[in-house]
Amino acid sequence: MSKKSRSKLWFLVHSWLALPIWFFVLIVCVTGTLAVVSQEIVWLANPQMRASAPSDDAPLLSYDQILAEIKKAEPQTVVQSINRPDESHFALDVDVSYPDGRSLTVYVNPYTGVIQGTAPSFNFKAFTRALHGWWLVPFTNGFSWGWYLVSFLGLPMLASLVTGLVVYKRFWKGFFRPTLRFNHGARIFWGDFHRLSGIWSIWFIAVISITGTWFLIQALLFDNQISISSEPIVPAMSREAVPQSNDGSPPPRISLDRAIEIAQTKIPGFEASFISLPGNAYAHLDIGGRGWYPLMYQTATLNPYSGEVAASRLLSDRTSLEFVTESMRPLHTGDFGGLWIKLIWFFFGLLLSMMVLSGLLIWTKRTALATANALKREHKKQRVQAQPALRRETSEANL
Amino acid sequence: MSKSTTVAQPSRLSVIWHKWRFHINVLLLLIPLGFMPKYFADASLFRGDSGLGEREIGEIQVGPWSLRLAELRNQAPILTGPAGYMKDFSAALCDACVDHVKATYLRIGKPRSLRAAGVIFFGTPYRMGTQLPVPEKTAADAELWITMEGWDGSMHQASIPLSQASPATLAWLNKQGAKP
Repeated sequence: MSKKSRSKLWFLVHSWLALPIWFFVLIVCVTGTLAVVSQEIVWLANPQMRASAPSDDAPLLSYDQILAEIKKAEPQTVVQSINRPDESHFALDVDVSYPDGRSLTVYVNPYTGVIQGTAPSFNFKAFTRALHGWWLVPFTNGFSWGWYLVSFLGLPMLASLVTGLVVYKRFWKGFFRPTLRFNHGARIFWGDFHRLSGIWSIWFIAVISITGTWFLIQALLFDNQISISSEPIVPAMSREAVPQSNDGSPPPRISLDRAIEIAQTKIPGFEASFISLPGNAYAHLDIGGRGWYPLMYQTATLNPYSGEVAASRLLSDRTSLEFVTESMRPLHTGDFGGLWIKLIWFFFGLLLSMMVLSGLLIWTKRTALATANALKREHKKQRVQAQPALRRETSEANL
Repeated sequence: MSKSTTVAQPSRLSVIWHKWRFHINVLLLLIPLGFMPKYFADASLFRGDSGLGEREIGEIQVGPWSLRLAELRNQAPILTGPAGYMKDFSAALCDACVDHVKATYLRIGKPRSLRAAGVIFFGTPYRMGTQLPVPEKTAADAELWITMEGWDGSMHQASIPLSQASPATLAWLNKQGAKP
């Protein structure tokens, strides 16, 4: 096969990868981009979610102080978990259960312990993630088919990246001589845009498509009951581990701050950014937070009555394979280093969405152009046929 | 079809196909649109905005205590991987027993001891849930046993017919015929 026809073939493959499903890919890209900053969007829309300090030097309350404040304001409310978001401008997310049976997330001010409001019933964050992640198709037995539908896109996206770089000869030159021509018509502009944003997004497209493909593999592994986890299952507490109480009331539990202290003495450098309270009398207390490697969490599981550490899951407990696979999700979502990383992911997400759109525009413009040219040629041929042979030669030379 | 007709006059249908073939995938958007009502119904169910579950079984007296039991979904047990068929129940403790009940369990058939009381409920006294395994060979006249354990070590039990606890499960058992 000649060099020219081979690159033509690659070009054809490149166009066919996304073209027939461009709208689907576009919506997945747009919803993914929104999902990256969904928490921030809710923050903008909901003043109750903001953590405003009463004064500049106001200290953060401890977890026990938070519990006490909630108890004081709403004695009936049962707290199920407390989560301190990474970014300090967010209020605490506290999952609570009300006597009427509702389970909600409430926003609690980390400086004052005031319950600032409940999360709106339309959960934008969860909705965009569900739309992006599994196209809203419900999970019944194992992963939903919507999950497969979306995560499968990782493969054509990876192939688009590779074929795009093959077709775009000497693409690295684009880094030194960026070209974006505004005055040569829409077709040229979108072509330049597609190439320019493409080369600057190589790393991002690679990250998104590889992690996306991992989600496909993850579902396939799970649905075929294949586990690669080295995490032991922590059994529920034994009857003997739960103290009896003679007066029939629940025995005292250790305080949350004490639990964190115990975990920190056993695990040097342990951070507590979320606490999950026991789900029943025989369940443990879970504390977790990020370690030195920001893409993964470490957790400690404690007996809530004695404070004994029943289990812990640290960075050092992970196999090297788990370091890779557990890093996939934060890499995909950009949620591992605060607002700036999220904004970078958001920007490149927008760029990627625009690449789907510009790819389509190039195709339509080129087809339109090709059609117009074909018509022109047809027209010309008819005219030329009526003219002397000599003129015809020259006119063809001029083409 | 002769060559001359295709060249001169492509059929209307093929023109439409040619023009719109790459835009048909817009119809994929119908999938999330179709699932949206279910998505929001589920979100409201899990928040507890629409009660304990899709179908309330009622208040059941268990010794000195009582609880409100509900089917999370008014449907047959669902297959959850190798663990087999599971049925979700939710429950809420009576106001007076919140501080006295240590644990609540569910089981099909009478438990022989507290150690074999069945699956334990997770959550808070206001709203807790559990997944009950339902073997395919369960008899149609089986009973659902509720065991409640007190902080003082006491134990109380009650039972209701499975037909009352979950008509959908009974219909499912009858439909497939009790398997040996």
